[in-house]
Amino acid sequence: MNPLELTLGIMTAVGGFVDISELVFAAKAGSTFGYALIWVFALSTGGIMVFGEMSGRVAAVAKQPVFNLMRHRLGLKLGLVTLAASLVANLITCAAEVGGVALILRYLTGLPYPLMAVVGTAVLMASMWVLPFKWIERIYGLLGLFMIAFIAALVAIKAPWGQIAGGFVPQIPHGLSTKELLVFGYFAVAIVSAVMFPYEAYFYSSGGIEEEWGPKDLPMNKITCTVGFGLGSLLSIAILASSAQLFTPANVDPQLLGSSALEVAIPFGWIGLLIALLGMLFAISGAAIETCMANAYGISQFFGWEWGRHRKPWQAPRFTVTWIVLFLAALGIILTGVDPMQLVEYAVLFSILVLPLTYLPLLLLAGDKSYMKEHANGRFGKTLGWFYFALITVAAIGALPLYFLTSGGQG
Amino acid sequence: MKPTDPIKIVSQLLDLPLIDPNGNYCGIVDDIELDGSAGKDTRLAALLVGPGAYQGRMPVWAMWLVRKIAGDRCTRVPIAKVESINSAVHLKVPAEALGLHEVENRVRAHIPRVGAM
Repeated sequence: MNPLELTLGIMTAVGGFVDISELVFAAKAGSTFGYALIWVFALSTGGIMVFGEMSGRVAAVAKQPVFNLMRHRLGLKLGLVTLAASLVANLITCAAEVGGVALILRYLTGLPYPLMAVVGTAVLMASMWVLPFKWIERIYGLLGLFMIAFIAALVAIKAPWGQIAGGFVPQIPHGLSTKELLVFGYFAVAIVSAVMFPYEAYFYSSGGIEEEWGPKDLPMNKITCTVGFGLGSLLSIAILASSAQLFTPANVDPQLLGSSALEVAIPFGWIGLLIALLGMLFAISGAAIETCMANAYGISQFFGWEWGRHRKPWQAPRFTVTWIVLFLAALGIILTGVDPMQLVEYAVLFSILVLPLTYLPLLLLAGDKSYMKEHANGRFGKTLGWFYFALITVAAIGALPLYFLTSGGQG
Repeated sequence: MKPTDPIKIVSQLLDLPLIDPNGNYCGIVDDIELDGSAGKDTRLAALLVGPGAYQGRMPVWAMWLVRKIAGDRCTRVPIAKVESINSAVHLKVPAEALGLHEVENRVRAHIPRVGAM
């Protein structure tokens, strides 16, 4: 294991962990329920660690991306259903991320939102065209490390560490009315969805193939998933905790994306605000690219086309056309005038509905000895995998009723 | 596994990706063609690749949709051109020699060859 590669891999995972949904729901969760939802972040981070590690292991051992093997395992019909479901979920998520990029560019420049959506998408598409996979992953992941400002802000405001630590213990706050309990449930489901978005595992697995992983890379895969995603999740928890500390007493409901940046602006002034916005810009931009690429990977792999950004755009022509069309579709959704915060709600809702369908094939593949040989899931891996599968299935069943009963978490 | 070894068609062959000797992906095993008849030896004759081979594997309405979007081309890959079968089907000859990269090449002609690192 090359220590430099490992460090870069972990830093990239940290910087690339947070996206617009986590930013929005962490801030809202903190202002509404204090520290009581931290344990849901911690629990679902365990889930993305488990499924991320499995997807990387499948890529390294079977040398085939998950969507290729998924079609072989599920067959054409069920495979197409899974592909279509994840396409819709990822496209909505991608549109939400593009909207997030446009909002932050608007905060930074004061220029109109639609113009910033076009400029932001053009820059993202240009970087996809120009940069090879490793550079795309590293540049956006490493620049996303500006988000560490949120942890520094939490330290600067003298956070109540005892209460934050208490938030890691599974709990439901006492004294909530039925309505508030339902909202708490909706937030819990939304956080599970936002942390375990289906694109993450598929992007990670395809990235493993792009970087030509083999069995020798399995320890690095395990460490990157555990340490990288774990530290990345701390960023979300810091946003939640700062929100609980700063917004709850002031009765502020952080409805806007920019509200999260105020958590850093309060202790560090305008420089803090700028750093927070830059961190958010790069983190959300990285997520926009990841969601778009995850969709292009899925379609290309399902139909056996040339794919990947380790090849030049003209060497994988249908893959290239696919990601261009998907980016333009995401931009088109934003230009209809739909509120990006509403899109975040839809992305989270639709993703949790399809999450069991997209993670089940991965769980089956990682446990299949005919593909994975001695690297198939052991008893511990199987137990964790099925535990998290049960968790996301329960969350998926509860998602729609909770969404309608709480008017999308409004109470 | 060699292509001449006994094989479980559904679990070991159908829907696997095809990869040529240059490492290029060139389709999926969408269907197969068998030689022989009832009561006689049956042998795997060819792999069928392309949306035209979905016929019979999808509902009629879905097949109509596939035809409208992707056409109904179907390329036949003789089993003699297959090197090995494991988590993918590895071919002995380049995709172009089997007519497997026709659409890929047609789209490639419209992609500008500039700017990418």
